[in-house]
Amino acid sequence: MTATTTAVSRLSTPYWQRTRWQTWLLIAILIGGGVLMLYPFAWLVLSAFKLPADIIRIPPTLWPETWSLEAFQVVLSHKIGGGSLARSYLNSIFVTITTVIAVLITSTLGGYCFARLRFPLREPLFYFVLSTTMVPFLTLLIPLYVVMDRLELLNTLWVLIVPSVFSSFGIFLCRQFVYGIPVELYDAAKIDGAGDFTIYTRIIVGMMKPVISVLAIFSFRATFNDYLWPLVTITDGGNYTLPLALRGIGNSFGWFDYSKVMASSLLTLIPPLIVFFIFQRNLVKGIALTGIKG
Amino acid sequence: MAVTAGSSPTDAAPVRPQRSWLSQYSWLGMGFAFTLSVFYLVMFVVPFGTAIWLSFHNWDYIQRPVFVNTRNFAKLLGDAGFWDALWTTVQFSVVEIFVALSLALLLALALSHLRPVYQYTLLAIYNLPVIMPGVVSVLLWKWLYRTNGGAFNAVLASLGLPEQPFSRSPDQALWCITLMVVWIFLGNSSIVLLAAINEVPDSLLEAAQLDGASAWKRFTAVTLPLIQPAMAYQVVTSIIGTMQMFEPFQLMPGPGHSTRTLSLYTYQLGFEVLNLGYGAAVSIAMFVILLSATLFELQRRRRSWDY
Repeated sequence: MTATTTAVSRLSTPYWQRTRWQTWLLIAILIGGGVLMLYPFAWLVLSAFKLPADIIRIPPTLWPETWSLEAFQVVLSHKIGGGSLARSYLNSIFVTITTVIAVLITSTLGGYCFARLRFPLREPLFYFVLSTTMVPFLTLLIPLYVVMDRLELLNTLWVLIVPSVFSSFGIFLCRQFVYGIPVELYDAAKIDGAGDFTIYTRIIVGMMKPVISVLAIFSFRATFNDYLWPLVTITDGGNYTLPLALRGIGNSFGWFDYSKVMASSLLTLIPPLIVFFIFQRNLVKGIALTGIKG
Repeated sequence: MAVTAGSSPTDAAPVRPQRSWLSQYSWLGMGFAFTLSVFYLVMFVVPFGTAIWLSFHNWDYIQRPVFVNTRNFAKLLGDAGFWDALWTTVQFSVVEIFVALSLALLLALALSHLRPVYQYTLLAIYNLPVIMPGVVSVLLWKWLYRTNGGAFNAVLASLGLPEQPFSRSPDQALWCITLMVVWIFLGNSSIVLLAAINEVPDSLLEAAQLDGASAWKRFTAVTLPLIQPAMAYQVVTSIIGTMQMFEPFQLMPGPGHSTRTLSLYTYQLGFEVLNLGYGAAVSIAMFVILLSATLFELQRRRRSWDY
């Protein structure tokens, strides 16, 4: 038996000889799991193209009788409390891109500062930042709302960005990563006369690419999908993000018009799907690396 | 004050002129630390302090807060709403974690027998719900659970089973939400466990096989102990994730208070009935419970793998 050192797949060196029924069991588990995962998703995609007559059919049919774009036309011209789905799209994209960029900058810079630079109270400050992750967001929800009210940021898009500019998790992740970069690189650049900031932009950022893509995906997901904080702070429909707009659409269309809800859900899924398919491998690696949930 | 530089090149440099204590520090580092401190002061210290302060007051957001000492906490101990919410949260959390982890382990074990290409492809499918906004999942599942012509009831009917009320029944609503949450996070947990299973050395498993251990025995005696840290990590992050979950309980509620969790209760107290002081007290209780549960789980796991 030829042993490969990289234990990525068990198929190259099977540690147990599968019998035929064991192989079939394996395939059955995996395909069954896949079908169960995709089944609700299939309803979402296919129902978005149904006509009302198709949606209310009893018993319901998965496949549309006639394919129609009517639902998309309706939701795109539908008003949601002074805003629209298109408006929410722009809001969501603006908030998400701004937050992701801010988090990437503060986390990489933070990781670098905490791992390599000297400043007073460095260690206490780091452990303080780390400890903040133990406090649930719901404990901070009410007072943070009050703080935002005092700062007069309520009902603007900034209220969705400002509290997320620093990420404790991101700083922690980047600090661990910078510790893995040989300190000689930093010292050599220092001797060559490079300043701390030059070292950061020229050397550190370039070496942090793997962790940056992981962080970008998590930050994207957290910001784009966020519901509770926008629900509390945004009341003006013109500043709704997509989750809030979807909630509005869910409230204004009933079971008979559910193709509209599914159509707007499908439109909402486009940006995450694009990010997902570009970064799928990084996502897998990133989740394996951090095990983060939600 | 530290005088020797840890790993900076100043160690190796020849005699340097005496400089002020400040010069041993990095300006970039100090600038960053200052900005960070201001941010955490405004976004964390002040709100957290306010939460504690508020929990000793009564406030309706309009009039001045009134100091009520520990009355909010006394009220909490006798509040059936709080204990119901806590019980709902614990039920949901425990069942979700148990079911999700068992299924994820099964999937991960099956996946570990595939070539990486197939692993990635299948994981992409399992992982699809993770990237969707929670609101999308809830709107979709709410519709599938529908009583009159819902897709799940249609499946039951085609299998000859009786129609179920699902979200409309106080007994089933919580488990409907639990199932949906399992669906959302299954791919995520599978990835973590798969990564751990892939790290288990082949040599150990081969040795066990040569000694005549059955497949089940190899799993329980070799694989399972070695992936304990990943399991523990998954349990802890799941406790934190499930205890704080909000969207499904607000958007797909069961009848009455059958699906009111601590997170929803806090939200309602703070933003619907405007009882901010009591809401803060409940949220502080939630923090203490979450912290205890996390530390307890970590401690328990640590003891079990120290051998």
